[in-house]
Amino acid sequence: MTAATRTYWLTEPCRIRRADNSLRIERPDDTRVHIPITDIRDLVLFDHADVNTAAFSLLNHHNITVHVLDHYGNYSGALTPADDMSSAPVLRSQSALTSNSEQRLAIARSLVHTTAANVIWALDTNLLANPLEQLTEQLAEASDTEQIMGAEGNFRRSSWEVLDTMLPPWLRLNGRTRRPPTNAGNAFVSYVNSVTYARMVTALRCTPLHPSLGFLHADTDRRRNTLALDLAEPFKPLFAERILRRAAAQKTLRKSDFESDVGRASLSNEGRKKVSELIRTELSTTVHHRSLHRKVSYEELIHLEALKIVRLCLEDTPYKPFRPWW
Amino acid sequence: MTEESDTGLGGVHIKYLLHCPRQLWLYSRGYRPEQRSDTVAFGEALDETTYTRRRTIDLGEAKIDWVTTGAVVHETKSSRTPTPQHEAQVRHYCLLLSRLGVNVARGTIHYPLIRRTVEVPWGDEARAHAEETERQAHEVIGSHQPPPRLPRKQCRGCSYRDYCWGEL
Ligand code: SF4
Repeated sequence: MTAATRTYWLTEPCRIRRADNSLRIERPDDTRVHIPITDIRDLVLFDHADVNTAAFSLLNHHNITVHVLDHYGNYSGALTPADDMSSAPVLRSQSALTSNSEQRLAIARSLVHTTAANVIWALDTNLLANPLEQLTEQLAEASDTEQIMGAEGNFRRSSWEVLDTMLPPWLRLNGRTRRPPTNAGNAFVSYVNSVTYARMVTALRCTPLHPSLGFLHADTDRRRNTLALDLAEPFKPLFAERILRRAAAQKTLRKSDFESDVGRASLSNEGRKKVSELIRTELSTTVHHRSLHRKVSYEELIHLEALKIVRLCLEDTPYKPFRPWW
Repeated sequence: MTEESDTGLGGVHIKYLLHCPRQLWLYSRGYRPEQRSDTVAFGEALDETTYTRRRTIDLGEAKIDWVTTGAVVHETKSSRTPTPQHEAQVRHYCLLLSRLGVNVARGTIHYPLIRRTVEVPWGDEARAHAEETERQAHEVIGSHQPPPRLPRKQCRGCSYRDYCWGEL
């Protein structure tokens, strides 16, 4: 991942065209923006976009992924460049690691356990001690990834309840729902989780790893990048839970930022802009990294997480999932 | 053996070997952090504009800047400091060319930023030196374990830093 390139967030419906070596973004109000192709790391589409083949081949040529979120914030797919950085030694080792069930389960367990610890950190609460204890026990007993996911589900239900106590009634989740999210809180979480996942997909594309050979999530669904789903887990609380808590405390979000219908909710146009701004600010927040001896942004932490798996594959360095240390 | 060592070693391999064997090991396994850093971009711009009469010779992995009559191997560097790595790289090119039957005279490294050139002699001694370097590179690449990290001060500017030092 390079410092010179950026993620561009398109929150309004637009057309994406090619103009020489730039992308021309045409907005509904007839304003146009030109972005030099070499400035772009990836694009995140929060709304409808119309991309033609000239733009597409330019994106492809520059190895740029376009992430597409649907109306409800669910990750609905990506335009992924054909070219990748994969390398045979890394792929061989990645596929050996992920098909060895013992190693696979060990990593799946630590992903779930660390994610739970990160939820507790993000919610800054002692109300989840019991659920965590139960999770630890259930993880020890779990003998396949389905049981691990089940244990995780139990912990998550408790954690969403605790989060609800920190939110105003209109923003509460009342149970996690997707496709479509049933209320504002769920819509918010869907958007943020999809963006976290998209960041991980982009990070993985800068490594020789294959995004679909993973440890925890089922790899039966071909649309899923299992490894990206796995590695996004420990980061979700850092973004979803924390931003939601903060937005509630500071009253940044309003009812009008959402379009709620019976049993379904999504962000309004203004809400999309607001939420993408909240996420971008969060991604660029920096912390001091003790072994790199420099500040790293949250976005870079996602990239470093992907590199840990490269190290696991190349050098057998044990993988310890991300935990906030600050 | 990796794909790269099947097709021989390029200048990059030699450069990495001398900078840090671990870097060579990682590179040879196909992990190549994106190199679109400013220094690299600048190096390319320099290549395109400084010398116009040139023939790039492509030996697969190794691309030689240009070879003039009398078989002098030229290499242009955007850095301001001549280093032993640069010389080793040029000797490696001389070795590759001489294996193709070219009667190599010597090498010249150009440093346009400081308006200097460095001559790299070619002969039996230089050839032995180049062969030894090549052997070391093959040894590093063939090893199952990665070489250890350098003392971190020497990692400055290396594009593998996030990889090598990014774990807490
Ligand atoms: S970061 Fe340091 S140890 Fe790693 S490859 Fe570069 S120079 Fe070698």
